[in-house]
Amino acid sequence: MSGTPAPRRGVPGRLLRHPLGLVSALVLGLIVLAVLLAPVLAAQGPGVSELRDSFRGPSGGHPFGFDSAGRDVLSRLLYGGRTTLGGAVLSVVVALTLGVPAGLAAGYYGRWFDGVASWVSDLIMALPAMVVLLASRAVLGSTAWVLMVVLGFLVAPAFFRLVRGIVVQVRGELYVDAARVSGLRDARIISRHVLIVVRGPIIIQIALVAGVAIGLQAGLEFLGIGSGDGAPTWGAMLNEAFQNIQRAPLLLLWPGLALGLSSGALVLLAAALRDVLEDRGGSTDRAVRRTAEAPVAPEPAAGDERAALLSVRGLAVAYTLPDGSDREVVHGVDLDVRPGEVVGLVGESGSGKTQTAFSVLGLLPEGGRVSRGSVLIEGQEVVGLSERRHRALRGDVVAYVPQEPMSNLDPAFTIGAQLVEPIRCKLGLSRKEAAARALELLRMVEIADPERAFRSYPHQISGGMAQRVLIAGAMSCEPRLLIADEPTTALDVRVQAEILALLRRLQRERDLGILLVTHNLGVVADLCDRVAVMREGRIVESGTAEQVLHAPADPYTRGLLDAVLDHVPARPAWRPRKATT
Amino acid sequence: MQRSAKTALVAAALTTAFALSGCADTSGGSGGSDDTLDIATLTKPQSLDPKVANGSALPFFQAVYDTLVKREPDGTYSPMLATEWAFDEAGTELTLTLRTGVKFQDGTAFDAEAVKANLERFKKGGGADATDLAAVTSIEVVDATHVKLVLAQPDPGLLFYLSDSAGLMASPAAFAKEEELKTKPVGTGPYRLDAAKTVVGTKWVYTRSPDYWGEKPPYGTVTMSVFDNETAIVNGLKTDQIDTALLQDVGQQVSMKSDPNVTTTDVNFDFQGILLFDRGGKVTPALGDARVRQALNHAVDRETMLSALRQGRGEVTAQVFGPETAAYDPALDTAYPHDPEKAKALLKEAGYEKGFKLRLPRVTAIVNDALAASLKSDLEKIGVELVWDAPDPAVLQKVFVNKEYSGMVMNMGLDTVDGIVLRTLVLPGTFNMFGTTDDTVKKLVGSVQAKPDAAEADLKALNEHLVEQGWYLPFYRMSYLLVSDKDVKATPQSGMAVPSIYNYSPA
Amino acid sequence: MLTFIARRLAAGVFLLFVISLLAYLLLSIPDLDVARQLLGSGAGQAEVAAKNHELGLDRPVLAQYLDWLAHALRGDFGTSWFSGEDVTQALRNRLPVTASLMVSVTLITTVVSFLLGVWAGVRRGAVDRFVQVLGVVGYALPGFLVTLVIVLVFAVQLRWFPAIGYTGLTESASGWLSTIALPVLSLSIGSIAGVSQQVRGSVIEVLRQDYVRTLRARGLSPARIVFRHVLRNASAPALAVLGMQFVGLLGGAVLVEQIFGLPGIGSMTVSYTTRGDIPVIMALVVFTVIGVVLINLIVDILIGWLNPKARTS
Repeated sequence: MSGTPAPRRGVPGRLLRHPLGLVSALVLGLIVLAVLLAPVLAAQGPGVSELRDSFRGPSGGHPFGFDSAGRDVLSRLLYGGRTTLGGAVLSVVVALTLGVPAGLAAGYYGRWFDGVASWVSDLIMALPAMVVLLASRAVLGSTAWVLMVVLGFLVAPAFFRLVRGIVVQVRGELYVDAARVSGLRDARIISRHVLIVVRGPIIIQIALVAGVAIGLQAGLEFLGIGSGDGAPTWGAMLNEAFQNIQRAPLLLLWPGLALGLSSGALVLLAAALRDVLEDRGGSTDRAVRRTAEAPVAPEPAAGDERAALLSVRGLAVAYTLPDGSDREVVHGVDLDVRPGEVVGLVGESGSGKTQTAFSVLGLLPEGGRVSRGSVLIEGQEVVGLSERRHRALRGDVVAYVPQEPMSNLDPAFTIGAQLVEPIRCKLGLSRKEAAARALELLRMVEIADPERAFRSYPHQISGGMAQRVLIAGAMSCEPRLLIADEPTTALDVRVQAEILALLRRLQRERDLGILLVTHNLGVVADLCDRVAVMREGRIVESGTAEQVLHAPADPYTRGLLDAVLDHVPARPAWRPRKATT
Repeated sequence: MQRSAKTALVAAALTTAFALSGCADTSGGSGGSDDTLDIATLTKPQSLDPKVANGSALPFFQAVYDTLVKREPDGTYSPMLATEWAFDEAGTELTLTLRTGVKFQDGTAFDAEAVKANLERFKKGGGADATDLAAVTSIEVVDATHVKLVLAQPDPGLLFYLSDSAGLMASPAAFAKEEELKTKPVGTGPYRLDAAKTVVGTKWVYTRSPDYWGEKPPYGTVTMSVFDNETAIVNGLKTDQIDTALLQDVGQQVSMKSDPNVTTTDVNFDFQGILLFDRGGKVTPALGDARVRQALNHAVDRETMLSALRQGRGEVTAQVFGPETAAYDPALDTAYPHDPEKAKALLKEAGYEKGFKLRLPRVTAIVNDALAASLKSDLEKIGVELVWDAPDPAVLQKVFVNKEYSGMVMNMGLDTVDGIVLRTLVLPGTFNMFGTTDDTVKKLVGSVQAKPDAAEADLKALNEHLVEQGWYLPFYRMSYLLVSDKDVKATPQSGMAVPSIYNYSPA
Repeated sequence: MLTFIARRLAAGVFLLFVISLLAYLLLSIPDLDVARQLLGSGAGQAEVAAKNHELGLDRPVLAQYLDWLAHALRGDFGTSWFSGEDVTQALRNRLPVTASLMVSVTLITTVVSFLLGVWAGVRRGAVDRFVQVLGVVGYALPGFLVTLVIVLVFAVQLRWFPAIGYTGLTESASGWLSTIALPVLSLSIGSIAGVSQQVRGSVIEVLRQDYVRTLRARGLSPARIVFRHVLRNASAPALAVLGMQFVGLLGGAVLVEQIFGLPGIGSMTVSYTTRGDIPVIMALVVFTVIGVVLINLIVDILIGWLNPKARTS
């Protein structure tokens, strides 16, 4: 997970670099500006009517012509935008004020408030909107503004549910617990930690709700329960045009275009915001294409002897940035793993060790690619290898044990199903044979009750057991090389020791080669035969474990060693999960 | 994987297309069949109990119930369940001679008792037209085939009413079970309701009555379908799913007029205008002055309104009497030419040089955006501020009971009988809720009522007086369009917007 | 599982009571003056009062509601004030129409949206752009405009399908299919636009999950990963949206039923609500709420089936 390079700009800046974001923001901006400048831009007031001019086509000063009442279409469009867009803003504000605080409180405190608020939210969602609108018109009057306030009330549950859902999820996360322990007040926790996480999804939701509000207003107008005060709105214009569709179909175009452009721009903006807030490059597709197109010719093998199991020479990994330029994160790494050998690849977060490991597996994240170098697995060059043939190596030649045990199991399937699947696919065993083999694997990784684990879902087992399951999964097709990426980092100390012991046993029993990616020199000392230390995408030091640990040559390695001795817990920074909207 | 997704998508699209197109032509609708008449309408009856019958819903009733008197398309009266009728000298007694040998669809005989029961029930029934029989004080059964209606005062509209909702005759045996009558009508009419095929609220299906006393009804089946809007009706007409319908929306009319597969006939039934109720100036003091009302009449540009709002389909007018009445005077149609200057001068004379504020209720079904805007701007030009009050479901209550408004834009049916126009628009009552009158009106109405058969001159004088006094602000008589399939002949009906059920025949 | 369903149903019944009460109260706020609407402008005060008495509108609102409730609990929803329809019978006639629309639209939306969404999420690039543009266009186009164009092209011009009306499924399957084809098409465009975006988003989301990489590391084929693992995990959020879409379809049905002259409950809603025909509206409210509760329940059960974790919490 470490080291996906992302240029850290502000959200607005990144949004403007997103092609869709830029266009939609531009369109929206223009519309808003035009609408705000209505008194300047409009030829006349929105209500000025000269029946003689009705349905007259465009003429000087009246580029869009006149409507059925002889009113200037452009003027009505501009003034109407004030009510329509202003109404949408009003709806959003009402929905936000009602939904967000309630969602925060319900998600954070839970208990009775959550129960009550969720029930009320369900109630509002099930309320017949027509009845509510009619009643509120009778009580509050039938202006466009009343309509939009009521609409805001009716869509508030969308915000409530969104915020509540995220907060419930976040509340359980460690960092809020930690903040609690260190005695922060609730208000501070909510504002410092929780709000930051819900901010993105809320912004996206705002754009969507605004679009819905604009569309709904038009729909209500069409059904004859729109604003009754004669205020120009795009919905009213559309309705008026619809009534005259036989006579002047072109009248539909302008308000339809204004509505379509605004709500379309809002949706696109929401999509762009989602991309930006979640660091999805807007140009991933280009990068993907390049990965496929540009296999880099492996450099001629260096003169030295290359290991039989895994041999990496001059490996460089580059990422394509959203602006199209490349950024290299690994600059020419050499690495060897012989059969039955445990090699530690050590470095801090962002040093490029995980990128190196993923290059071997052929599983670099979106936008990343091997830009040069050579990777031999059992003598076969995998740089430039087709995905299909590379895939054939995975599982039964090279296998992978990930860092986070819980997030690496598919929550929707039982442990058994997840173990059986690769066995059946790769080894072609029958369902029954595969199940037997999966149970055997679970036994092999020292799980006490294999049958029960087999039937369990990931959320029903502990982190330690999950890591054993992942090791079992990695071993299921008898690989020769195991790439373990921080396999113990997420586990508590006692379990760490057990997992390391398990890896050691497997390595000995099966003559397994292991590339152990870790920042923890304690683990290295425990397990590794040889060590390579990485820093900023380069190997700074390599040698036998004893050499490197007892007589580190590079000051960086010494620093790492000191950190271990100080027992500073080295956890990676928490990264918020992306919220689903 | 990409391949499989793509293939699946294409397959799904193909399946859908096949499934749908394979059966496209099986459903042409019954519009083509000669023995079936498919009528589309926007109006639905409250129920099929004749006591609630009124207006454009009348054909739903006419199919099952005959009326006492038949009103021909041109407005003349001819025998139906009553074969003869005669008023006495004073015009306060009407004697009807009834057709013999007619039986209701439940076997009950049609006789004088049945007529008495029906009329009394209608008068007390609380339907929208119940007041039509207000003048009838008693109904006497002379013998089995003769009935005498005794009136409090002469009512020139009585025969019209007996050819309309008030004259519908249902089996008295069915009155005991009122609830059933709502959905199981029992009359003497040409058709019977096919309850099994009828979907109350959307589609009523009638089948030819095998033992009808009169001429054999032209269609084996008549369906009347109710729609919410004319767009659906026009689409149905264009695709032959509907045989005939009356279109009110001018845009829809124009689109059908150009369709070569249908026959179209103009129907001038409604006029549109502002009824200025407050001629006494109780709500809007300015309206108490005839010069102000004249000024308003001069302010509106009727010609432009007609051409812009109704695409010229209709005739401008300044009078509320229709061309079929005796009071009608073609010259009065143009009594108020568009003349803002004159209007301003009149306002100045009346002391309203600075204008005043006129508040009107807005019913969106009648006052569309264009009409609202154009009236507002026309009046603005003479300094009168027109304020439209937002649509309000309780508008009828506010206008007619609370008397909160000094006028209202309405679409009013052009009555064919002078006496009915007098009753509804001139004399104190529903549309004269402030009860305004003046000496001239009193005098002329008095002499008209005294000698109803020789009242033409007085009626014309009354009409002229009302126009001159600006009691109303009519804009124009609107043309509706009766559209029918090539194989259906539909004739417009005097006194009704939609044709009577008898006015359809195979072409 | 059964207790979960029972609890949800109980909560739904409670919700139904509260909403029916709220709706009744709300309906009583506007002075819709039903009696005068029925009697026309010519009626006198006494006649209006008599009509109000006949309809029971002269009683306190709560008494009216309790009376309605007592009848409704026995399955008697009364008679429409304006059209004399027996409300239960009317719903029995009209529900199948709207249900045909909504179920067909939901099925088509599900299939097409998942295909498009997965395709876009997995392939990205041009395909993704295309689906996104499709989504935006489908979302931004005013629904009635789309519907009108569809009628004009496929019914009036090409005559492939009838422009108006509805044939029951039991009457003629092909007639049913041809009468609902265009309405379903009209409604599907917007909902496919919405749901396919959601599916796309979820698919991309799931593709970024650690376990997908782990599955790839085990050498499973991309198709297998997408159709077995990604699809299943991406389905839960998409289903939630689909559920909401289904509820929202009722609103869309109003428009489509009007334009196609379909005798469903959608076309019923507006006219009866604006006139204040309480017996009809209350029945509509009851059936809508039951529909919403059931749909939410089904969605929750499906999500529970797809996501074992949601089952326990």
